[in-house]
Amino acid sequence: MSWRDLQWKLSLSGIFGMNRRNVELVYDRNPRHLYRLADDKLLAKELLAEAGVPVPDNLASASGLHQLPALLETLDELDDFVVKPSLGGGGNGILVVGSRIGCGLWRRAGGSELTEDELRTHLANILFGAYARGALKDRVMVEPRVFPHSIYADLWSDGLCDLRIITLDQRPVMAMVRVPTARSDGKANLHQGGIGLAVDLDTGRVNRAVCDKRSLTRHPDSGVPLVGLQLPLWSETLETACRAAAAVPLGFLGVDVVVDEALGPLVLEINARPGLEIQNVNRCGLGLALGEVA
Amino acid sequence: MHPPAHAHRPGPRYGWLLLFLCLIPLVSVVYKTAFQGRALSDLLPRTRWDLVYELHLDGGGGPVSLQGFLPVDDRRQTLVAEDDSSPGLRFIDEPDGQNRTAHWMGMRVPDDAIVHHRLSVLTSALDVRLSDDLRVPDAHPQSVTPWLRPEERLQVDHPDIRERLADIGADRGRLVPRLTAILDHVNALPSLDDGDDTDALTTLQRGDGDAREKARLFVTLARAAGLPARMVGGLVLAGVESPREHRWAEVYVGGSWVPFCPSTGGFAQQPAHWLTLARGDHDLFTPSAGVGFTPRFTVDSEQVASPRALAASTPLNLWSLFQRLGLPFSLLRTLLILPVGALVVVLFRNVVGMPTFGTFLPALIAGAASATGALWGVVGLLVVVVLVVAVRSAVQRLHLLHSPTLAILLAAVTSALLLTSLAADRVGLHALSYVAMFPIAVLAITAERLYLALEERGFRDAGRELAGTLVVILACYLVMNSLALQALMLQFPELLLLVLAADIYLGRWVGMRLSEYLRFRQLIPGEVAA
Repeated sequence: MSWRDLQWKLSLSGIFGMNRRNVELVYDRNPRHLYRLADDKLLAKELLAEAGVPVPDNLASASGLHQLPALLETLDELDDFVVKPSLGGGGNGILVVGSRIGCGLWRRAGGSELTEDELRTHLANILFGAYARGALKDRVMVEPRVFPHSIYADLWSDGLCDLRIITLDQRPVMAMVRVPTARSDGKANLHQGGIGLAVDLDTGRVNRAVCDKRSLTRHPDSGVPLVGLQLPLWSETLETACRAAAAVPLGFLGVDVVVDEALGPLVLEINARPGLEIQNVNRCGLGLALGEVA
Repeated sequence: MHPPAHAHRPGPRYGWLLLFLCLIPLVSVVYKTAFQGRALSDLLPRTRWDLVYELHLDGGGGPVSLQGFLPVDDRRQTLVAEDDSSPGLRFIDEPDGQNRTAHWMGMRVPDDAIVHHRLSVLTSALDVRLSDDLRVPDAHPQSVTPWLRPEERLQVDHPDIRERLADIGADRGRLVPRLTAILDHVNALPSLDDGDDTDALTTLQRGDGDAREKARLFVTLARAAGLPARMVGGLVLAGVESPREHRWAEVYVGGSWVPFCPSTGGFAQQPAHWLTLARGDHDLFTPSAGVGFTPRFTVDSEQVASPRALAASTPLNLWSLFQRLGLPFSLLRTLLILPVGALVVVLFRNVVGMPTFGTFLPALIAGAASATGALWGVVGLLVVVVLVVAVRSAVQRLHLLHSPTLAILLAAVTSALLLTSLAADRVGLHALSYVAMFPIAVLAITAERLYLALEERGFRDAGRELAGTLVVILACYLVMNSLALQALMLQFPELLLLVLAADIYLGRWVGMRLSEYLRFRQLIPGEVAA
């Protein structure tokens, strides 16, 4: 195949590479000084909550070392909670606590014990920006654990399935579910062995499942069938994502949504520079999807 | 074809800006070369030869004197450094006509005394184009007439010489055909190195000779034809294992001395690796009588910027500014070439799609490595990598806070570099002890980046970034250490605008990165899915 042929086919496929995403979508729709509205999860959550978009509760937060003792006191009264770095990305620095065993002793969602010392070090590291992608300080946010809708929970019990919905000008463009596996260590990260489910925007049905660029029909660990799965509360989920997109002055977003068993769709975070792997999961270039939206 | 349905707003027009940025430096360069006489050939790198005379003398405890020749500057060779360390021997040098002679003397010189004379010489090849219209002049300047006369071993007026000159048709006609005939005739004689050293007439009669004997015959025939000519002795620095003596000739044509080699057939040219030492028919080294003499030569070569390119680099007087401030010249070079290195990084990141630590860290490391050599840059980087991995696994168990961990890392990096230098010096690996010269700031940033990559993204991603960083460092090093490019940037700093234009173009370039062709290959119609 000649180079010109290849370029022609590429233009037909509508694939967005990193350069094209940045120039035509990110820089065009998302002013750089507003990135922090998306990058800072606490800030984003405040904005979303103000606009009435459903988000997980905020149990506690801390922005400096001096607040650590008070924060630990608060946590000592909680049975289960999730600690997150406000500026973190890719699921790094997230600590899920499943239960309280005793005074200053918890059990992680994974089963291992967590002492107050370990928790304090982790909180301090978050504050020092250890997970903040280059920033030198960060804030800690504590949220209640999300208990996903049974259809999501049944896919794989360790870790949380979330939905990534790409929006342009508040309209959904492409969607996928990220499912953790035994190999991905509880993280729903496609680059670490997680599964991506391509979702039909109109129906909310899963039409493909992809792990490491290979198609699957069932979850490799739980054996649950994936292709043909009907996602619950689909129109509410899409609507929630679009409302989240409307709540921030950013035109091109990746909205991350979980569907809570009791609370329904909750926006976990928004991303001003969403990844491009969703094209491989949906086997469709972003350009084609954008064309259908218009 | 789908219209750009998502209505991407077109950016400002960049075409005119790019055109402008490209035109300014090109116009300026053309102006400088065409109207200010900046020759582009001056910019080409030259070869620097580091030559050592290692002359063994067996004096037997008595007085010894040794006469030799040292190079003088001419249009194709420039002496840049010289130093003599000959224990027990006094060294003096003096100009002697068109040559420079050296004398080493001692009163009580033992056996196996050594003359150790170090020379650094810049050379370039010389290739003179002689016009076919040139004629043999009737009269010559006074200064060159001695080179027309017969000498003891150059029997210019002998009838056999005259007869041979007529036989080969070199006694009439224009200059170039006559010199060609003489050179071809002498060059065609069989080469014979029989150890004796005969005069021009004997060589003519025997019909063979070594390089020196052929040079004599050539010079004699040229003089007989009315052209001032002289013998040249020197060293051939490359192409053989160690430098060896060689003889060729020069003919005075059109106001300058032009080299010819009767034994290799070189017409009006002299290769860059021939070092001229003595004009005239001289032995290169003459020890006093009864002294055992064994000459040895060693040579090393390196490509360097030509002195004229460096001297001419004063459009904004940067060079003189740096000289006044006492700043090293290498710093100016690095500052001018760093933007080019940054462009290389941009190409790798945005066009190839290769991950690296930090945006410009590879260019900075490559810039720092130009002082120590690429090898030590890589060694320094690997020392840092090993340390970061080691310190990380050692410190992890202590559950320390983040910033103090990085401080420990920095302490470990500095101590390791010092210890490496110390150990290398102890075991005599002198080159390795230069690893401490590597800028600590650059390595410290590298250590922090690597640590963060390991913490945030794990071994696999950090390893990939490390590999990418190494590749880009080497690419940057090759580009930034290209002498031609350095000379060009020094001579024409305005070329930075071209780099700027390339940066702007790449800043708006929306093409797929090479790595993305692989990543999204399933989406390209007609491509086979993996």
